[in-house]
Amino acid sequence: MNIIVCCKSVPGLVTNPKVSADGKSLEYQSQLLAINECDEYALEEALVLKKAHGGQITVLSMGGIKSQDVLYYGLAKGADKAVRVDCENQDSQVASKVLAAALKKIEFDLVLTGTQARDTLSGQVGIAAASRLGLPFAYSVVAVEVQGDRTIKVSKELGGGRHAEVELGLPALLCIQTGIQPLTFVPPARRIRARQQAVQSFSLADLGLSGDELSAKGYRIRSVHPPERSHQVSLITGSVQEIASALLEKIQESR
Amino acid sequence: MAGDILVLVEHADGKVDTVTFQLLAAGRKLADYLNVKLVALALGHRLDDIIASLQGRGMDKIVAVNDAALTQAAGEVQAQVIAAIVRQSEARLVLLGYNLVGMELAPAIAVQLGVNALTNCVGLKIDGGAIVVAKPVFDSTLHAEIALDDGEAAVIALQKGSFAPIEAASAQAPVTFASVDVAALPSHSRILRLAEEPAGDVDITKAEIVVSVGRGIGTAEKIPLIAELADALGGVLACSRPVVDVGWLPRERQVGASGRTVTPKIYIACGISGAIQHLIGMRDANRIIAINKDADAPIFGVAHLGVVGDLFEIVPALTQAAKEAKAAKSG
Repeated sequence: MNIIVCCKSVPGLVTNPKVSADGKSLEYQSQLLAINECDEYALEEALVLKKAHGGQITVLSMGGIKSQDVLYYGLAKGADKAVRVDCENQDSQVASKVLAAALKKIEFDLVLTGTQARDTLSGQVGIAAASRLGLPFAYSVVAVEVQGDRTIKVSKELGGGRHAEVELGLPALLCIQTGIQPLTFVPPARRIRARQQAVQSFSLADLGLSGDELSAKGYRIRSVHPPERSHQVSLITGSVQEIASALLEKIQESR
Repeated sequence: MAGDILVLVEHADGKVDTVTFQLLAAGRKLADYLNVKLVALALGHRLDDIIASLQGRGMDKIVAVNDAALTQAAGEVQAQVIAAIVRQSEARLVLLGYNLVGMELAPAIAVQLGVNALTNCVGLKIDGGAIVVAKPVFDSTLHAEIALDDGEAAVIALQKGSFAPIEAASAQAPVTFASVDVAALPSHSRILRLAEEPAGDVDITKAEIVVSVGRGIGTAEKIPLIAELADALGGVLACSRPVVDVGWLPRERQVGASGRTVTPKIYIACGISGAIQHLIGMRDANRIIAINKDADAPIFGVAHLGVVGDLFEIVPALTQAAKEAKAAKSG
């Protein structure tokens, strides 16, 4: 089974982001880019599936040259190939168009993504790309079972402890829920070695995309600010002992 | 009529989910402002009970797609059915819940319709004549406000609790049964069965005091620190999703969107930053106490009482104080 894992490179701590002049993206400075944690779980599941059923894993990322690091990380973890689409765009619709076009260029049976990227927190691109390609999909998948050649059975969360078992014909796209497999540690030596491997890169022209298709439309980001607080929190200060007794007093009176 | 607002009704086991009544409240406000109709769309099989409990909840019209094939329809097919109804009715906005169901459907409906999806929204208002949503970004540390262009159609997925549910009134809305040939839609997937997670040995939803631990605890070895506090206070131990994901506590202890919703008298969050997925599972607790070393952590936005500090110092001291108080009382 050939699996593509979509990995996004996301910023660590972001300081003072600003809305771009066109109102379509947030501009920020962040030194540290790392693999989106949700996507790392998708990669772990792909590694488990590969072990059981064979095939190749391709890690795919859309982003500038800096996002190549997450692909090396994927290779170090055990992916066989890496592909980067040279495009930076925060719009979910545009990103899903680009991703769908890239998927058409790679042979696969299954596409795995995470559920959400920690920067945009929109959780749209995977399902939107599947919809564009007419692939079946499932969100928040917590177990994957391969059934014969062209079918898989998955368990997905519905919330509140409820699940659905869904059968999907291949090729299909799954948004993998965190915790599906334990995250594995990658020894630094392997990470260094992985940097010797080739990363294939697609330009937007390679994907046959240009101009109007790639511009975000229909909305304008007005502002970005700390969340409004529903009420003012009262902070308890003092020595550890003072804090403990003050807290206990408040707890006793709320019982 | 063109420009209407359509709310997707969420239901399970013959009951309408509360989020639907919240969406109807949000939709009613918009519909009044825009002078359009508010439509509730229910998909399923044998919808009589659902339609009955929707009645009087602010919509001008109920559209139902009643088809046995929907019981097996996975997201792929549901999105096509919803998109077909939106096209037929020329609705402008589709509102649905940003929960595990809506997260799957919203992007798929948007692609079917060729419109934007605004997801993970925690606010929806009219501001300066525009429809404006607020949504968390950057790990929930910030919110972005996004305005739809004038007249622009969109799918909007709102977090549970963003609006108070609409009150029931006596008005009865006309019901239309829409005909969509569900079985004929292209499909490569189907729902085999729905399952309830087996009950564990503890039900965190029943407790009056919940002491909850997040990834700020750092290692599994430190969990007993929090468990001891829960014991000393006569409460139960719970946690946020990351703690379950790394295997430190079982799934039945998880509070949040994909876990349980708790409404205890006292909720103590230890080392929980407060991502929106966690907040919607506990923000209705009577009194929320947060202990976190980061003063900017979103958990302080919902907490009534907060301690900015090291939980490894404060938690043991609080446990000790609680034990001493108990001993003094019984002694």
